[in-house]
Amino acid sequence: MRKTIQALSLLLFTAFFLLATYRLPDWLPADIYLRLDPLLGINAVIASREFIARVLWSLLLVGATLAVGRFFCAYVCPLGASIDFLDFPFFRKVRRGDLKTDSRLRRWKYFLLIVIIAAAVAGVSLAYLIDPIALLTRFYTLVLYPLTIAVVNLLLDLLRPLSQGLGWVGLAHLHYPQPVYYMTALTLVIFGAVIALNRLAPRFWCRYLCPLGALLSLISPLGVFKRRVNEECNRCMACQKACPMGAIPEDPLKTRGPECIQCRECAGTCPQKAISFPVSFSGIGEYSRFDLSRRGLFTSLAGGLTFGFIAIQNPFTLLQGRRQLIRPPGALPETEFLRTCIRCGECMKSCVTNTLQPCLWESGMTGLWTPKLEPRMAACEPNCNVCGKVCPTQAIRSLSLEEKTYARIGTAVLRKETCLVWAQNKMCLICDEICPYNAIVFRPVEGYRRPVVVASRCNGCGYCEQRCPVKGESAIVVMTDGEIRLKEGSYIAEAKKLNLEFKPDPGDDKFVIEESGFKVDQEKQKEEKLPPTEEPAPQKPKGFL
Amino acid sequence: MAGDKRGISRRQFLKATAAGVTIGLAGYPDFLTAAEEADLAVISGEPAAATRKALEALGGIGRFVKKGQRVVIKPNMSFAKTPDFAATTHPLVVVAVAQACLEAGAREVLVLDHTLQRAELCLERTGIRDACRNMPGVHVLALQDRKFFQEIRIPQGKVLDRVEVLKDILDSVLISVPVAKSHSATGVSLGLKGLMGLIWDRDSFHSQFNINQGIADLATVIRPQLTILDATRAMASGGPGGPGDVKKPNLIIAGVDPVAVDSYGVGIVPWYGRNFKGRQVEHLLIAHERGLGQIDVEKLKITKGTV
Repeated sequence: MRKTIQALSLLLFTAFFLLATYRLPDWLPADIYLRLDPLLGINAVIASREFIARVLWSLLLVGATLAVGRFFCAYVCPLGASIDFLDFPFFRKVRRGDLKTDSRLRRWKYFLLIVIIAAAVAGVSLAYLIDPIALLTRFYTLVLYPLTIAVVNLLLDLLRPLSQGLGWVGLAHLHYPQPVYYMTALTLVIFGAVIALNRLAPRFWCRYLCPLGALLSLISPLGVFKRRVNEECNRCMACQKACPMGAIPEDPLKTRGPECIQCRECAGTCPQKAISFPVSFSGIGEYSRFDLSRRGLFTSLAGGLTFGFIAIQNPFTLLQGRRQLIRPPGALPETEFLRTCIRCGECMKSCVTNTLQPCLWESGMTGLWTPKLEPRMAACEPNCNVCGKVCPTQAIRSLSLEEKTYARIGTAVLRKETCLVWAQNKMCLICDEICPYNAIVFRPVEGYRRPVVVASRCNGCGYCEQRCPVKGESAIVVMTDGEIRLKEGSYIAEAKKLNLEFKPDPGDDKFVIEESGFKVDQEKQKEEKLPPTEEPAPQKPKGFL
Repeated sequence: MAGDKRGISRRQFLKATAAGVTIGLAGYPDFLTAAEEADLAVISGEPAAATRKALEALGGIGRFVKKGQRVVIKPNMSFAKTPDFAATTHPLVVVAVAQACLEAGAREVLVLDHTLQRAELCLERTGIRDACRNMPGVHVLALQDRKFFQEIRIPQGKVLDRVEVLKDILDSVLISVPVAKSHSATGVSLGLKGLMGLIWDRDSFHSQFNINQGIADLATVIRPQLTILDATRAMASGGPGGPGDVKKPNLIIAGVDPVAVDSYGVGIVPWYGRNFKGRQVEHLLIAHERGLGQIDVEKLKITKGTV
């Protein structure tokens, strides 16, 4: 029964994950699991010192836990389900005795929770590293999803002779673009470690480390369902062995309230059928108090604050915004962005062109796994706005397609020294061909028409950088200069204020005629010679009309 | 005369099936010298109706598509733009051609392009996939993986001696359905330039050799049996990707000779605000000089009509 619910929840999580893709309907909250997670919510709100509307969803889980208890870990948590299901193939034959350090280890999750909250108070988002939902979503995005696509494509390739032979045209031509990501290895190692720890004790992660479990356990003792053992109990201790959370102490009649996830394994195992989970409004039992040592409490608090200090007081912080790091369109201003982003990887999963990539050290310790664009590999697609839609903390604001167009992520800069046209007089036009905003125009310079970026029409999508045929580094690159990042308010209004217009303005391309494939009569050409447009207009000093 | 017609078609048919893409065909294609039908059909009207009329004017689709054959229709759906941008072929033109092929007994019709932008987006935004949705036997596919391409030799190539083309065109009747638009490297992008949508590596055309020579090289090996130029809209500047100045010539120009179709297409609207002739477009001139088709519109027999 529990296994079924767990499997369904994991399936639902996977389904929502897969739905986080281009053409996600506005009404569908594909990031629902992340929204429900109160730890991610609290962390983002405290770290950013902002109210985040989407975080209110987590009140559902808080409310349910208050009412029912810590059921989430046993029935809903997709990482818990993964741990349980992977336990079978890997550790089913392993004999796992009691850990001698059990009671000390148990405190660790609370210490980690304190570290996370303290770091958030200091202004650093840290929850992402060990929050189960963020961790699993990240693992799905950066490891499982690319792997799945690779396997599916392999199967399609194997099937291809058959599908061709049978004339199944659609199947014979089916191929899914292979997503690729940085940080795949590191993400896999972390997930692998979470699973490997089960070698030591069942649900090691959930028992000892999970900060979300810790948070939920703080409020769970108020729940109405409580374990009760009746007088039939013969102290055979079978329940204690069966409990995946180690929630049953030496006295099997008692229960460590906060640790109990109501999985009811004990009730199923009990040969005397002495265990039940009736509704009870009685208070919290004696084993329910939290025995955090004062020293541990203090150390973790100090640790979190110290980490916050180290993570923030360094040159990376001062250099924020001066680095070549293109953030997704609609990303909050850099400082707020780093504080709000929970590194779940949903934006990278949903990105239709695969340009969103996790950072390693590009923006320091506070920027690990944050999304950046990799325009040399792929561009930001003008018709797509999914990354904001699926961002559970709205570190990337959810914008309409039109508004997203104005959320300028940078400006293309042409490098004349490597550009084929400027440097080698070749007839290349790929940047102009692909530019969705007509921000690249050709001007006659020294007898050739040469590409020039009209900065006021460029919103930094990066198609030019991606397609530039120059080997190695592109001759046209998107720089963060000119990016628009707003905490609130309309991007459209802001862009209009700056006189930016990402719309067609075809008139300017008339300069293209010469040298553009049309053979213009030499005589005529001289007659109609277009005035060179880059001739400096007489300039007045600034401020004079 | 009827027998004459059939003879030509059979010869073309044999060429298409036995030799795949007609490789290394020297001199003038014989359809130019022998054709009794009009060289070009230029029909004014709504996209679908004008397309059907143009096919009729050329002697019916049956001239090109035989029962049981596989047809590849190559529209321009390379950009994720809606039809009003004129960066892509009008969906109704594609549908009309596909419908005609089915009626002629085509086994299956593949609507193919190697898109510049993500396949999914192009299929969606151009409207071509939706328009063909309820047509059994018609498959709209945007292919972006190298495994769907195969290298062929270009015996007459000047700058290219081999090229990777979409496998599917090698054993099918090829009908090119380009859109009329400007192009900042080649002046215009019509039928011949559109053939670049059937090959794998296009970057080298821009970076390694003269693109106009490259297009002519390509035209020696990729020879559509029929070219239907969608000039219902024409992007007169800002091409190929747009946004640009969209004119509404409301024309469908169809013909067997790809150079003739393109050359006529050059004259229908002013490009970048000026009038040009086919001979002023470098890649068309090169193709003409290499015997790939007739560039002089005056020498063509043209059937005009309105629907």
